[in-house]
Amino acid sequence: MAVRSAQDDGPTSSRWDGGAGKADFNAKRKKKVAEIYQALNSDPTDVAALRRMAISEGGLLTDEIRRKVWPKLLNVNTNDPPPISGNDLREMSKDYQQVLLDVRRSLRRFPPGMPEEQREGLQEELIDIILLILERNPQLHYYQGYHDIVVTFLLVVGEKLATSLVEKLSTHHLRDFMDPTMDNTKHILNYLMPIIDQVNPDLHDFMQSAEVGTIFALSWLITWFGHVLSDFRHVVRLYDFFLACHPLMPIYFAAVIVLYREQEVLDCDCDMASVHHLLSQIPQDLPYETLISRAGDLFVQFPPSELAREAAAQQQAEKTAASTFKDFELASAQQRPDMVLRQRFRGLLRPEERTKDVLTKPRTNRFVKLAVMGLTVALGAAALAVVKSALEWAPKFQLQLFP
Amino acid sequence: MAQPILGHGNLQPASAAGLASLELDSSLDQYVQIRIFKIIVIGDSNVGKTCLTFRFCGGTFPDKTEATIGVDFREKTVEIEGEKIKVQVWDTAGQERFRKSMVEHYYRNVHAVVFVYDVTKMTSFTNLKMWIQECNGHAVPPLVPKVLVGNKCDLREQIQVPSNLALKFADAHNMLLFETSAKDPKESQNVESIFMCLACRLKAQKSLLYRDAERQQGKVQKLEFPQEANSKTSCPC
Repeated sequence: MAVRSAQDDGPTSSRWDGGAGKADFNAKRKKKVAEIYQALNSDPTDVAALRRMAISEGGLLTDEIRRKVWPKLLNVNTNDPPPISGNDLREMSKDYQQVLLDVRRSLRRFPPGMPEEQREGLQEELIDIILLILERNPQLHYYQGYHDIVVTFLLVVGEKLATSLVEKLSTHHLRDFMDPTMDNTKHILNYLMPIIDQVNPDLHDFMQSAEVGTIFALSWLITWFGHVLSDFRHVVRLYDFFLACHPLMPIYFAAVIVLYREQEVLDCDCDMASVHHLLSQIPQDLPYETLISRAGDLFVQFPPSELAREAAAQQQAEKTAASTFKDFELASAQQRPDMVLRQRFRGLLRPEERTKDVLTKPRTNRFVKLAVMGLTVALGAAALAVVKSALEWAPKFQLQLFP
Repeated sequence: MAQPILGHGNLQPASAAGLASLELDSSLDQYVQIRIFKIIVIGDSNVGKTCLTFRFCGGTFPDKTEATIGVDFREKTVEIEGEKIKVQVWDTAGQERFRKSMVEHYYRNVHAVVFVYDVTKMTSFTNLKMWIQECNGHAVPPLVPKVLVGNKCDLREQIQVPSNLALKFADAHNMLLFETSAKDPKESQNVESIFMCLACRLKAQKSLLYRDAERQQGKVQKLEFPQEANSKTSCPC
């Protein structure tokens, strides 16, 4: 592993403290790079620090760093041989046609100016990665938009590592999107309005009376904004953030975008078409760092478990809703939330017990919540809290970090 | 509140002048309404739904369209016999998993349905049966006009779906058939005529939503209007 020495700078704070100016910016950046390498080099790797770095201002800064840190965030061992298949996947896969159609059309995901030949080579790799992951994980189902996620990893870490990372991601963060149906995805979208309601009830009511629904945020959620943001730097910055956080963070970020556009929404005609149209056209010049820190704050103030009831109420028709979410959380708390596990929990827990668990859980956050609520841009504190909750679901290494 | 009556010449285009006069003269007779006409476009993945809607709403063929995720929305204001009508086009994802739970919201109150297939791909045509079922499953009333569009006609040497087969199918399901190409600039008129034809039929026939041009606190009232006019249109169809 490429390692640079950076022992002088202590990893005491991930926050940019005061001051301004170019030189200052560079100094901070340099300091952050040093801190990241220090976290990478410590034995065992300081994954909690890496998470804080991925969330705090600027994220992981460069693709070179991402190549090293993303595997840590996903607990993927880069020394393991990448998964391969001896089968002719293109012949066998039921999804091949759909994947092919989507990848062929995904030209906008590649850097402008990339030679055609190189882009086509990458598109072939993209198809291979997707088919391989689907073959190895028959419980996962391809969805349009999955390719937008995979291409981001491909462009940053290359084919081999992308396969390992996306496979892990697909069985964790993205798993609900890859169910046989989109019911769970829809359920996650149902968190959007309750979050907005907590912060800005007027905006919430306006959107409800417009009957705008939540489909405008669907592509944001299931592609981690990869489908809608044209500047790749913004996409990877968000991926840093989401990789370090709870799987529901993208829906908090979606809510933050809507809240940020409050005035535009309220100025809009109160009908489905107008509001949907406005919101689905995502502005490209969003203040990402501010929004990221706000999403972190919201997550701490209104953790998913507190919103679960309202989200479920949004979906009265959906009989699986409440239990689905609980499963999601339970599964997330486990190291390998695979289907077997999910079924086991489904069998073990009766509904009342689930509810009780949901109700008691937020208390563990109370201290952090109180600390954060008074802060305006509570990046450091919020980041820390988000990291903690991320660790509740994160794979394996959490145990050694928080003894 | 004074309500405009369809087909009696009371409706005025919502021009800037119209709005200005509204401010000067608060007489409710001057109420300006724009009718809204909502079309949903459905069909298999990659048949060209997005390109068709772009061609209609934007006039050009986008050279880089991507898979539609969920539902996209475009609109265009057209003028038919002096009346401005806002045509809202809802462009949907083709992949099956999106249909079931995601798209249903957008079938509500549609005024017309456009089924699209790819003339160079037989499966996209045979799947139309399923799309029709899908549409019926969402309680779209039988009277809602439906048209069938065979896209990608410019790829002449690759055509798999013969016109007479498509025509038979369209007849059997009481739909008009259009064969066109969203890509071919010479066909752009044809694309436009698909939507215009629907707009004409609707203008003549069904109740449309009215959009109150007088906005109060950014709110817009929606009124359902009873079918009233059956004026003769000067439509191309």
